[in-house]
Amino acid sequence: MNGHTWKQRLGSLNYGQILLYALIAWFIVAFLIIPNLNVYYEIFFKGGNFSLDAVEKLLSSRRAMNSLKNSFVLAVSLMITVNLVGITLVLLTEYFQIRGARVLKLGYFTTLLYHGVVVASSYKFVYGENGLVTNALASLFPSMDKGWFHGYWAVLFVMTFACTSNHILFLGNAIRKIDYQTVEAARGMGAGTFRILWRVVLPVLKPTIFALTILTFLTGLGAMSAPLILGGTEFQTIAPMILTFSKSSTSKDLAALLALVLGLATIILLTFMIRIEKRGNYMSVSKVKSALVKQKINNKAANIAVHILGYALFLIYVTPVALIVLFSFADARSIATSTLTWNSFTLENYARLFTSMGAFRPYLVSVLYAAAASLGVVALALFASRIIHRYKNSKLAMAMEYALLIPWILPSTLIAIGLVITFNVPRLVVGNTVLTGTHWIVILGYIIIHIPFTMRMVKASFFSLDGNLEDAARNMGARTFYTFRKVLLPIVLPSTLAVLALNFIKILDDYDLTVFLYHPVYQTLGVVIKNSTDVEAGIAARAMTLVYSVVLMIMSGLVMYFVYGRGSKDK
Amino acid sequence: MIIFKDIQIHFGSFHAVKNFNLEIREGEFFTFLGPSGCGKTTILRALAGFISPSGGRIFLKDKDITDMPIEKRGIGMVFQNYALFPTMTVYENIAFGMKVRKASRAEIDAEVRDIARKVDLKETQLSKKVSELSGGQQQRVAIARALVLKPSILALDEPLSNLDAKLRVQLRNELKELQKQFGITTIYVTHDQEEALTLSDRIAVFNNGNLEQVGTPYEIYNHSGTEFVCNFIGDINRIDPVLIANSPLKAFVSSDKVAYVRNEKVNLAPIEGDDVVRLKARIVDREYYGLYSKYVLEMAGGGRMKTIEKENGRIGFAIGEETDVYIRLADIMQFDRTEREH
Repeated sequence: MNGHTWKQRLGSLNYGQILLYALIAWFIVAFLIIPNLNVYYEIFFKGGNFSLDAVEKLLSSRRAMNSLKNSFVLAVSLMITVNLVGITLVLLTEYFQIRGARVLKLGYFTTLLYHGVVVASSYKFVYGENGLVTNALASLFPSMDKGWFHGYWAVLFVMTFACTSNHILFLGNAIRKIDYQTVEAARGMGAGTFRILWRVVLPVLKPTIFALTILTFLTGLGAMSAPLILGGTEFQTIAPMILTFSKSSTSKDLAALLALVLGLATIILLTFMIRIEKRGNYMSVSKVKSALVKQKINNKAANIAVHILGYALFLIYVTPVALIVLFSFADARSIATSTLTWNSFTLENYARLFTSMGAFRPYLVSVLYAAAASLGVVALALFASRIIHRYKNSKLAMAMEYALLIPWILPSTLIAIGLVITFNVPRLVVGNTVLTGTHWIVILGYIIIHIPFTMRMVKASFFSLDGNLEDAARNMGARTFYTFRKVLLPIVLPSTLAVLALNFIKILDDYDLTVFLYHPVYQTLGVVIKNSTDVEAGIAARAMTLVYSVVLMIMSGLVMYFVYGRGSKDK
Repeated sequence: MIIFKDIQIHFGSFHAVKNFNLEIREGEFFTFLGPSGCGKTTILRALAGFISPSGGRIFLKDKDITDMPIEKRGIGMVFQNYALFPTMTVYENIAFGMKVRKASRAEIDAEVRDIARKVDLKETQLSKKVSELSGGQQQRVAIARALVLKPSILALDEPLSNLDAKLRVQLRNELKELQKQFGITTIYVTHDQEEALTLSDRIAVFNNGNLEQVGTPYEIYNHSGTEFVCNFIGDINRIDPVLIANSPLKAFVSSDKVAYVRNEKVNLAPIEGDDVVRLKARIVDREYYGLYSKYVLEMAGGGRMKTIEKENGRIGFAIGEETDVYIRLADIMQFDRTEREH
């Protein structure tokens, strides 16, 4: 590429390539730049003149200010609790010698099977007013309030256990990479198990823990499903508040401003996180690393305590999943009363999924949306990554890459608000049509929020390609597109398909973004599951939610197995 | 046949190749030799068309190919890491270029099998994925893939550097055989002097983007054109100026020159001739290599020298032993002192 001028580069493009570049440029301008700028416009220039009305409105709204405070309280609390639980899980499964560690690990991994609204509704099913655990507790303490599971503590409890997936994946990976010789050296110098953990092992994990802490903080700040389902009236956070305001025609600016506050907080924290990432991880200096050997806890009492802790956590993780699966096979009466007998079991709920169009429809809608969006985002990422890979040193390609990262620094709530308020009037950039309330805006929303993750993965596989492959193909006369199709694409395809599957499964049960964008006639799984947690929801809807949840878990499980389990063994 | 004329190559502000001129003859096995970053691969890539020179022209059979598209140059390239397509079989890799040229299926099949036989790939290996082959076999696929298109030049960019020592020697010999068999002009890039000496008809030695010397392996080794070349190729002794001043060498080496003599040309046994200088030394170290021993000599006149002596079953010199040392004047290479050494 060196020595080639811009003129030469442009001259070598064919019409197809020019069209592709124009399409990507249009997508970036129309859906990543304009809607997000429009949010500022709507807040500060609503009547055409600059005004701080929205800010004043926000400051004088007690509900809004409370939600801001609650979100920060939740985020800070989660930073502590998720780290405590997450680090404990990783130590239990990867560092200490625990009997049945493999089984425990499977239990802790259940968070990978369900997300967001499904988790919140599952915990509500178990701990809610008619939940099995609540009933059990009530039989022990008859005077207890059966509606105990709501507000700050409930949200904190659910989110703490739901947000440990990243710890299990990334911290688990980091601890496995620790050079065991450093542990042996410390032991040789007389250090005990817990001193080694504190002075040798944990300091190496510090950068990973920092990064995870910030991610947790951001998750807490933007929390939607858990506060919405379990927060009750007393503990509402920013995202549900944005949703409420966005539904009212007079408070849209307030919704936008709250989303902007969320966005600013996200940007500040991410900048901080990038700094930490740049400081880098601790590299092992040893030439020959040896694999970590699990540590035995020699103190008998400590060993028993750690085992009890491990299995208690296991129960917390497994209970909702097990009960959801069990009750999905139960009849309506059993679901309503949370009691199970041998006679309660039936396949009726599953039969209904495939025989009743009403039951199957949300599933079908979600599958179609997820398929369209995950294909769309992967296609976009493939072409964009190819351009970035090909024109590595060009400023234009770099600008494109940064533009595509916009959704990474903005919370999905802000992106949703931007899309909704921008495209609820005809816009020239999308052919003078209104997109709000159409299928398009739902699919676009999904595509946009999944760009950063998809780009990161697909770009990484492009950049791990041997540069000589392309040269070799050119040397043998292959043209650019032929080389892309025959040589490069087959190499990046497996990882691209994995990303596609992961995106598909994440979109399938999405609620946080969908709730802003969905077409009322075409409700998705996420929306239906959330609605089934409302007090007025019927038993049939609750039964169906259990079935949806199980199907979603099975699909997630399969994807996880093919992407992480089987895939990693092949390599 | 290939002419590089006044070639300049820049990477941003870095001047990678400076005013490079060279002629390579038809059918020659020609090697670009030099340390990493000296510009040898850059020149090869410019010849193949992957890099556009910022100045100068390249001619192939009197035709200016400087701006010609890569695929029209007729240069078969073998990359350092082979650049085999990992998702394709051996057969598909070799057939790739012919498919691009839209050759008929029968023609592709015949050519692929023929070239595979010539590079010693077995019929059963053709259906394997390239990752299932050993490094040496992958190397054969890369060569077959380049040769099947019947290029007029075969360009090899450090093709043996990924292999272990024994296989390198074996493939080196096979490569030479193949080149003879096809009679194809071959340009070989390496930093390994042994490969360059054993394979090449002629060698160009590069340093810092400059061409230091072009010559046969014998000329390069025995009559190095520059101080860099004589240091880069083989083991050599720089004769201490104090020794020159205190020995009969001073009549031969002037004070504004630096003098070198190759290790094996420092003799511990007497040699005949009018131009032989006899010096005195003491053995200070000995390394036993089986076939030969390496000695470190402390010269009576000053400085140290190394020499190698073939082992012939007798016990060689012992450490501390005094000995005579014989050097033929014709074996001494002299170069002007550079500025920094004054």
